[in-house]
This record gives sequence, structure tokens and C-alpha cells, in this order.
Amino acid sequence: MIKTMNKKILIAFLLFALPMFAQADTQWLLEQSTLSYHMSHPMHEVDGVSHAAKGKGICHAGQCNFLIAVPVKSFDSGDSNRDLHMIQTTRGGQFPMVIVRTQFPEAATASPTIYADLEVQFAGQTAHYSHVPFQRVTQGNEVRITGTIPATCSDFKIERPSFLTVPIKNEIPVKVDMTWRKM
Amino acid sequence: MKRKMEKIAAGVGIVILSLLTQSSLRAQTVATISGTITDSSRQVVPHASVSIEDVDTGQSIETRTDSAGVYTEPNLAPGNYTVSVAAEGLSTKTVKSKLTGATEQSIDLALNAAPPQQGNPANQLPAAPQPNAPNAPSNPPSSLSLQDLGFTSAQTQGSAQRQALLNKRTHMLKVHQTLGLITAVPMFATLISGPQAKAKGKNGQPITEPTSANLDLHIALGGLTTGLYFTTAYYAMFAPKIPGVKPKGAIRLHRDLEWIHGPGMIATPILGIMAYKQENAGEKVHGIASAHAPVAYATAIAYGAAIVAVSWPIHWKFWER
Repeated sequence: MIKTMNKKILIAFLLFALPMFAQADTQWLLEQSTLSYHMSHPMHEVDGVSHAAKGKGICHAGQCNFLIAVPVKSFDSGDSNRDLHMIQTTRGGQFPMVIVRTQFPEAATASPTIYADLEVQFAGQTAHYSHVPFQRVTQGNEVRITGTIPATCSDFKIERPSFLTVPIKNEIPVKVDMTWRKM
Repeated sequence: MKRKMEKIAAGVGIVILSLLTQSSLRAQTVATISGTITDSSRQVVPHASVSIEDVDTGQSIETRTDSAGVYTEPNLAPGNYTVSVAAEGLSTKTVKSKLTGATEQSIDLALNAAPPQQGNPANQLPAAPQPNAPNAPSNPPSSLSLQDLGFTSAQTQGSAQRQALLNKRTHMLKVHQTLGLITAVPMFATLISGPQAKAKGKNGQPITEPTSANLDLHIALGGLTTGLYFTTAYYAMFAPKIPGVKPKGAIRLHRDLEWIHGPGMIATPILGIMAYKQENAGEKVHGIASAHAPVAYATAIAYGAAIVAVSWPIHWKFWER
């Protein structure tokens, strides 16, 4: 009788406890961010900055999935006319968000350099960047991630804006500075 | 003659040898890119367009997947390549690849469903396998969506109409910019011809040297400048306005200067006509008409400053430091 009771208690415990362990996902929330693109022209050096990115990450079964998005119109280069032109050139009216997805093993979140494979959706196109290094620094309960995405205009079929008939450089590297908090 | 022939023959020989050597070296180091194209449900995609572009030379090779969704492109020289895959009803994907030596690079890609014409393609993000990634994931993708991040559909939904509005705005402002620069040429010429365009000399006699042709030229240039100026202004004034955007940066100064050169461009020809009439009546130019030249100079300076405000190298602009 007691043995039967013990078995029942054990089964009940396992039934309740196992899903609890299975659901022990780690979640990350983007606390603050600074994303800046750099545009280079023989007569112009322009940086457009946005602090409007939002992001979340879920680590499940040893694998982490992160989603980060930022409105195209949130980038500020210090000149509203240029920003509107950038939105137009990058088809931001039709595709108003820049969306970045990345997946990597959870173990990588502990290393000082995270090599991420990025899927970037921008201007109605999708581009992939493999093995992009990001530096990780832990600050209390928060993790600061910095790095540069080696984006180019041609990756997203963006017609390069020109000034005095000279187009900007194809490279538009995007610097990333993000602070994530473990939830 | 014989020596010259020998030199030519030697030159031709060197060129042929060089070409053969290059060809031989190239043949020894050819690489191959191949892969399988699937859709998000893992079904192979036949007849997908595959473009392999040599980043260094800009040359691209076009091929297609076969009925099994497989493509192969042999005989590629080592270097950096961009592989783009497109198929009907599916979104285009582009990946970068670096070929070093005689390698066989496998790039398998899964294409997502094409986004709708209006709206953002990725409110719900599908799977995205990573080709050749050293830490490529193998488990199912995250189900995170833009709504999970706190973005509203108003923020994430695009609009073809809004894009068309932006396109029209850019087009009109480009015309404005071009016409504005063109206008500066006759404006400058009008300023130069102005001092020599008096109808009467200081003693009240008609000017013979320079001749009255100078006056005609000045009037013609002024008329051309006025016409071009207001056409230029039209393209700026009637370019679509984007709601919620406050002028910021160099464009603010550019716009503020309109309040000087705009009225100036109206006043200058009126004052010029008044001065012309006074001189023709044998009077010395007097009253408000005598302001024709100063107003014209102030207008031209403000106009030039407006051009410089939006054209000067940004890293030299003190207000953007």
C-alpha cells in the first residue's frame, strides 16, 4: 500500500516537475541600444544613429534565438532632409523596419566574443552575414554587446545615393552597441 | 628591318606565353559553388534563378536550379562572391562566399515566401538556415514576432502609397537641386553685367561704350534668372510634405534663407524696371529704385549661401560638429 502510494507520489512529482524543467528557458530583453550606419563620400562622412531598436532573445534546449528590429525612420543623421532621402532610397516607406535574426548555441553567450550568423531583412531584401564577431562584456545583470555588421548597399539592392554625380561608397557598416538584460 | 621583326615576334611570343600561363594557372585553381534551393517547407525549388557575382570584378554568372532544386557553377576563380537566388513567389536571398583555391563550396538556401507588396515581410519570421556557417543552428526557429517586441502594426506595416510619396518628393527635390545650380549661372552673369548696363552715363548722355547691348544683355539675363528661379522654387514648394518631420540640420538654414532671396527675387526686377524708366526719362535713378543693385547683391548672396548650406562638405560644417 505504502509502495503504491510512493509510486503515485513519484509519478505525480515527475508529471509536474518535468514540464517545469523543460520550460526553463532563458529570456533576454534589449534594454538599450545604439545602432549607427556610416556612409562615406569623398565630400561627406555621415553617421545615422538610432536608439529605437527593440529586441528579445529566447534560449531553449541549448540554442538561442534572437530577434532585433528597428524602424528605418528612427535613424537620425542630423539632417531631416537627408534622413527622408535615406528612407526613400532604402524603400523605407514600403518596408519600414530593419529586422535582424540570429541563432547561436547558448554556450556562446558566455564567451567574450560571440560569432553570430545574422539574417538581416531591410529594404525588402534579405541578406545573410556569417560569423560576425561581437564583443561581450558583462555588467552586473546586464550584458553589453558591441560589433559591426559589414553591410553594403548592394546586399540590399539599394541604389547608392550620389552627390555631385559621385555615389557614396558601397559599404555602409552598421555599428552595434546593445545592452541586454537576462529576464 | 630584321631586328624589328625579331622584336615584334618576341613581343607576340611573350604575350602568348603570358596568356597561356595565366590560363594554366587559372585552370589549376578553379573552384565550384553548388547547392540545393528549398522553400520554407523544405520542398526543393526547381528553375530558381541563381546569380553568382564576382565582387572584385563585378562580373556575374547566371544559372538555374534543375528539377531537383540543385545548381552547380564550376570553373570559378578564387575570390569573393555574392550568391543571389530568386524564384517566383519566394523572396530573394543573397549570401556572400569566399573561395580560396580549388574548393567545392556548398551553399544551400531556403527561400521564404515573398512578402506582400504592401507591408513588411517579416512580422512573423520564418526559418533561416545558414549556409556554411561555422555555428549553424539545427533546431527550429524562434517564434518571436515584431508584436512580441512591442511594435504596433502601424509601425511595422509599410505602404506603397507612402513610398510613392517619398519617391515623388525625392524626384521633385532632385529637379529643384539641378535647376537651382543652373539658375546660379545666369544669376552670376546678371550681377556682372549690371554695372555696365546703365541706359545713361553720369552726364546724362546715352552710353556708347559699352553699348546699349549691355543693357539688353542684362535684361535678358535677369529675365532668364527670374524665370529659372521661380521654376526652381516651384519644385521645392510643391514637393510632397511628409507629415511629422521637423526640419533639422542644414536644410533649416537653406529654408530660412528663402526669406531673403525669395522676396529679393521679386523686388529686384521691379526695382530694375523702375530704375530703367527713370534713366530713360532723363532722370538720375532715385528713391527706392536706387536699391536695385544692393537688393540684387543681397539676393544673390543669400541664394549662394542657400546652395552652400546643403552642399558644403558635412564634416566642415560648424553647426554639425
